[in-house]
Amino acid sequence: MSPFKCAREGELSELLRKGYWPQACPDDLRLHVESCRSCADLVLVTEAFQRSRNQSTALPRLEPAGAIWWRAQLRRRNAAIETMSRPIVGAQIFALIMALVVVGALAVWQAENWSGWLADFSAALHLDALIPSALPESSILWIIVPVIATIALLSGIVVYLASEKQ
Amino acid sequence: MSWESIIPNVLAGDAQPLAATAPAAAMDNEQFAAFYARSARSLWAYLARVSRDPALADDLTQESYVRFLCADHPEDGEVAARRYLFKIATNLLRDHWRRPQPSCIDEVPEEVFAARSSERHSDSAATLSPAMAQMRPRDRQLLWLAYAEGYSHHEIAQITGLGSASIRLLLFRARRKMARLLRNGGEA
Repeated sequence: MSPFKCAREGELSELLRKGYWPQACPDDLRLHVESCRSCADLVLVTEAFQRSRNQSTALPRLEPAGAIWWRAQLRRRNAAIETMSRPIVGAQIFALIMALVVVGALAVWQAENWSGWLADFSAALHLDALIPSALPESSILWIIVPVIATIALLSGIVVYLASEKQ
Repeated sequence: MSWESIIPNVLAGDAQPLAATAPAAAMDNEQFAAFYARSARSLWAYLARVSRDPALADDLTQESYVRFLCADHPEDGEVAARRYLFKIATNLLRDHWRRPQPSCIDEVPEEVFAARSSERHSDSAATLSPAMAQMRPRDRQLLWLAYAEGYSHHEIAQITGLGSASIRLLLFRARRKMARLLRNGGEA
């Protein structure tokens, strides 16, 4: 016999679970429970918990099964989409890095040619034709900077709208 | 590229194609509804009695079923499914208790589990609730699973993640303490 278990506890547990205690159980077991502290504890605790369970199960206001089913489907769908999009995001990042590397390498390789071209950039665009002759020559910056800023802003908006659509 | 071309019907909200890929989805809507009707009240009772917070029990009951449906659990019939559901609920309860910071359920201050005024039952509460309030959360779990749900030591070990051997000792001590409290009307 285990120090934590009376030899008749199994039998008693079975009777309690089936609801045979105390009416439909042998007299000797009833006498045993009166003298065995472990079995008396078992009866007391089991009856209290079973009563409480019967009362508690009548209490909840349960959400409809259909709503839970729908939520689970939604979560599984989102998980599937996330699983699928992970490698695609990885590929996009890889492509971006490669593009930046190529652009960087090209810039280094062609640095000399471009430096001359950049120096003549404003002349190539004939921006001075747009500037009123009354303005001083240094005012050209006041036109170039807002134009470039506008182009950058519009590019950002286009990229944002394109990614939003996806 | 659309998701439809990658995962057929994934955006249609149709359960059938997913059912073919995830074992959990082998349970269809109607089967789930029947299983839910049979098991939800006992799961709620377990969560409400152990947490002593009916509102938390409401939330965790729903979350347990959602996770149950999303999981790849083995198809061993309703008994195993119920056990699995109780395991999910037990883990959610543990996560909830651990969230503030303590790493062990026994380190959580008892005030966290103090009876909520919103507790909506009249009960054998008069006798069991005060006694339950005196017990540690883990003991409440073990006692409920053993004496309200009728799970064996082995099943309780599967649900709680505790060792089978320690369940017997823990349960014996918890039962002795609970019996003493019940005899004294919930007073230690």
